[in-house]
Amino acid sequence: MTASIFSLSTTEIAALMLSIKVAAYCTLAICIPGIAVAWLLAKKSFIGKSLLDSLVYLPLVLPPVVPGFLLLLLLGSQGILGKWLQQTFGISVAFTWIGAVIASAVMAFPLMVRSARLAISQVDKRLEAAAQSLGARPLRVFLTITLPLALPGILTGLVLAFSRSLGEFGATITFVGNIEGETRTLPLAIYTYTQLPGGDSAAIRLAVLSMLIALAALMVSDWLERKALRRIGQGLDHD
Amino acid sequence: MIDIDLKCIQGNFELNAKCTIDAPVLGLFGPSGAGKSTLLAMIAGLKKPTAGHLIVDGEYLFDSARGIHLAPHKRRVGTVFQESLLFPHLNVRDNLSYGFNLLAKKEQHLKISKIVELLELGHLLTQKPHQLSGGEKQRVALGRALLTSPRLLLLDEPLASLDVRLKRQILPFLRRTKDELKIPMIYVSHAIDEILYLTSQIAMLDAGKIIATGKFHELIHDQKVLVLAQSLGLENVLHTQLLEQHPNHGYSLTSIGTQLLAIPLTEAAIGSQLSVTIAANNIALSTKRIEGISIQNQLLGKVNDIQQVGTRMLVTVDIGVQLIVEVTAKSLLDMQIGQGSTVFCLFKTQSIQLFPAIDLQ
Repeated sequence: MTASIFSLSTTEIAALMLSIKVAAYCTLAICIPGIAVAWLLAKKSFIGKSLLDSLVYLPLVLPPVVPGFLLLLLLGSQGILGKWLQQTFGISVAFTWIGAVIASAVMAFPLMVRSARLAISQVDKRLEAAAQSLGARPLRVFLTITLPLALPGILTGLVLAFSRSLGEFGATITFVGNIEGETRTLPLAIYTYTQLPGGDSAAIRLAVLSMLIALAALMVSDWLERKALRRIGQGLDHD
Repeated sequence: MIDIDLKCIQGNFELNAKCTIDAPVLGLFGPSGAGKSTLLAMIAGLKKPTAGHLIVDGEYLFDSARGIHLAPHKRRVGTVFQESLLFPHLNVRDNLSYGFNLLAKKEQHLKISKIVELLELGHLLTQKPHQLSGGEKQRVALGRALLTSPRLLLLDEPLASLDVRLKRQILPFLRRTKDELKIPMIYVSHAIDEILYLTSQIAMLDAGKIIATGKFHELIHDQKVLVLAQSLGLENVLHTQLLEQHPNHGYSLTSIGTQLLAIPLTEAAIGSQLSVTIAANNIALSTKRIEGISIQNQLLGKVNDIQQVGTRMLVTVDIGVQLIVEVTAKSLLDMQIGQGSTVFCLFKTQSIQLFPAIDLQ
């Protein structure tokens, strides 16, 4: 064991960067659909609402390997959608980092929707009515009143999604495998090292790293949330 | 001209409001739960009536027969709510300009600078709502609604969440708004003094029905109206002119018609218009002027009307303006006061409450 506990090898750095890349794209990808679905569930009643509700939250309660397997069936090279994508656009997502993004997006989506939905439904409806009576049409009311006021909760949702994506293991390994430099994110790398003789110290380094990133994400989220709350005069630290 | 004929059924509660409004300010008066806020919400378009129609200046905002239900943002009806409902993430300036910026240039009849000056908001523009006092919040809410240049302004108990002192501070701004901007208003309250300070035109709402509309002092002869008004606390609002200051003796002298009225000492300038209130049950009647009494105000008048409400008698006395006096049945009997009797209305200077003066140029 020549590498010290603090210095990372190139493969370890690759796993770290890949994880951050996948988590960042995942967060970006679910941001707008997450807010849209959250708004739908918080504000509207429509036929099939409880079905949508259940479908969105399903990945939370399923073993992650199940969504991963379903994605493989759907988007894999032999899957219905996968085949069509391959033939029409020449795109294959199975066993690529984009596939890893999709896998973690599916797993992180419910967390995002949960936070955003709660935040949106907690915005005082009378403020929205006031905005309407001032001449704002519904979309403007949403963009200028609902969204800014729900922002703390939405930010929390995004950070949760980011962290969930960093930790995604089951769906990812099932759907896109464990390919070094392509789909081997931090958790997969840790798992791989634990399977190797003498891989413990590398596994420990990456585990500590994971904790640090997760901690940093939570702290950033806390800071953003506090800033957003202060903006609307609800901060704990105001007079 | 506003033509209201709106019906709304909500569980056991049925609102059935019919009236036409021509006055610049209509006071909508009634006890809690009468349906005042529901009626306003329907006029603003925030609540859909079950049936009926609503016509403002010839335009149908709602008509169940023709399936018209204009969205709130298309009605040009401004609302000031009981809780100011300022947008907490925006500062005062952005709150004020929220609706203003949504108007086409040619529809921006009122300028922000004008409203800021009218409502004295200049020093608050960069503050956030949570930094404002209750009274300041309501002034901003009023300004925000005015800046949408509404053709009708609804005020839904805008002062109900404020204490008496703050109320008295806001009312002059409402009066100023009424006098200077000439936007038709419906002012909802269960405090008769607030309403009478702004207008004498009222509509009485009770248990979902408008039971009377017209001038308050004409309506008050109606037993139903009187019972309701009395239960909510009868206040007389008198509009007076300041004549003399007597700081050493702790009072100011005002005139009301041809009579003199002593009021608590005020700092207002000689000649200014002052509105004061006196509760009906703080006034006593006498058949002759009484000497050697600490009560300074003894206003001569003629009994116009006597109504019994429960065990109380409500006597309307014409002292140049109509004054409502609440006494017991026995005292009326003892004094042999009846319609047409000449009486003196006695009340202590200190039982008079002042609305602060504002300078109206």
